[in-house]
Amino acid sequence: MKKVFVVYATDNVGTVVLEPIQRGDRVSCNGERRDIEIVAQDDIAYGHKIALMDIAAGDTVLKYGLSIGSASRHIRAGDHVHTHNVESNRGRGDLAQPGALSAE
Amino acid sequence: MSEFMGYHRPNGDVGIRNHLLILSGTVYANGVVERVAHTIQGAVPITHANGRCQVAPDLRVTRRFLAGTAMNPNVGGVVIIDHFREEGMTAEDLAHDIAPTGKLIATVNIRGGGGFISAIEQATRYAQDFARRISLYQRAPAPMSKILFGTECGTSDTTSGLGSNPANGLAGELLIAQGGRMLMAECTEWMGCENWLTEKAASPAVAEAIVAGVQHMESRALASGEDIRGSQPTGDNMAGGLTTIEEKSMGAVKKIGDSPIIEYLEIGEAPTRTEPGNYVMYGPGMGAESISSMAAAGCQVLTFCTGGGHTSNHPIMPTIKVTANRQSYELMRDTVDVDVSGVFQDEITLAEGGRIIYDEMQRVCNGYLTKSEALRDNNSFAIHRVGPSV
Repeated sequence: MKKVFVVYATDNVGTVVLEPIQRGDRVSCNGERRDIEIVAQDDIAYGHKIALMDIAAGDTVLKYGLSIGSASRHIRAGDHVHTHNVESNRGRGDLAQPGALSAE
Repeated sequence: MSEFMGYHRPNGDVGIRNHLLILSGTVYANGVVERVAHTIQGAVPITHANGRCQVAPDLRVTRRFLAGTAMNPNVGGVVIIDHFREEGMTAEDLAHDIAPTGKLIATVNIRGGGGFISAIEQATRYAQDFARRISLYQRAPAPMSKILFGTECGTSDTTSGLGSNPANGLAGELLIAQGGRMLMAECTEWMGCENWLTEKAASPAVAEAIVAGVQHMESRALASGEDIRGSQPTGDNMAGGLTTIEEKSMGAVKKIGDSPIIEYLEIGEAPTRTEPGNYVMYGPGMGAESISSMAAAGCQVLTFCTGGGHTSNHPIMPTIKVTANRQSYELMRDTVDVDVSGVFQDEITLAEGGRIIYDEMQRVCNGYLTKSEALRDNNSFAIHRVGPSV
């Protein structure tokens, strides 16, 4: 069983901070959320995130108990969560207009 | 309520150290300052590259940094040395700003009576007298509510946003529960999570100032040709696993907790409010300038959360280095004070990490030396510039 770290109890992603994860690994959580066990669907490197549950397209990705963006497509529990399936709501680096301020 | 043993100043401030400052008014007084400080036991030299040929708004910031540093509760007395009589920046101007604190102040002008050697003699006599007089000051009990707790992060890595910063935010909450105040600067790092900060603002004016502060910093960078928002998160950040700017920024600003933000401050400006809670200050991410601005604002103590293992230490504001990266703690054991990496190994919770940081901070308030303090590695006094040299 490999461990990921969850920083806040309502988060739907965890972060790899110990050994890297390979596809097919069984994964549970350290930190602030202990009730979840999943199977990794991707290889996931140190510092990268894994989905702790299914996240529907358009739904909020939560870390620190706060939005870090929205799912740009359906994310399954155990998927690698990164720029290929999450969009910033605040202007992502590779899309931002120079000087653009947040929408809010 | 929890207490610490501190130095009670005439204006009601309470310091956690009792430093004698030898303060340079201008770059051209640095040599005299260093000689005097070298002679006197415990004297702390403050030298810098400013004080001459600055545009007025920039000179005002320099003056705020220098006077504010001397006004910090950790300072018992100050000898100010200047050279040319720069308008708005003489030793007397600085003394005028510092005077309301009621602490010991003397001024020496290098051109005032024979030059370098005479100035050293005159300043050394003041310094000897002050060093002995402030040595009579005794620590006495004070409530933790007297503490203005600065916080900074630098050489951040994956462990920072997940471990040391959130634990530090919880340490701040423990102080705020005792009536204390926590101060965060580095407004470049608020970019992308302005809404998290504005939601905590105690008034609409504070919220507006937060957004305006970020915009101002961003437009300054843009004017120099650097699009700091458009380039966030950086390629390195993304390779390291950070997906969005809000994720990166949240990792940084989580070094304060969830309490309301009471006041927004300009760089180096002391709070005018005393309510417990968070305070935020305009300023750059550059560590030495940032922590110097917080010392100038009156912070007695600061936690510096560091992924890579930093050496930063302010000359008069004990700078507690905190990491959640066990390897960095081992590699930088000489200067990193606190290791909370146990949060990842399931050895401690984030709340316990916060308690560990708070307890270390309270010990340092009581006089316990940080590692860098014991080494006198006073590397992090720096003044933020807001204009060109002319």
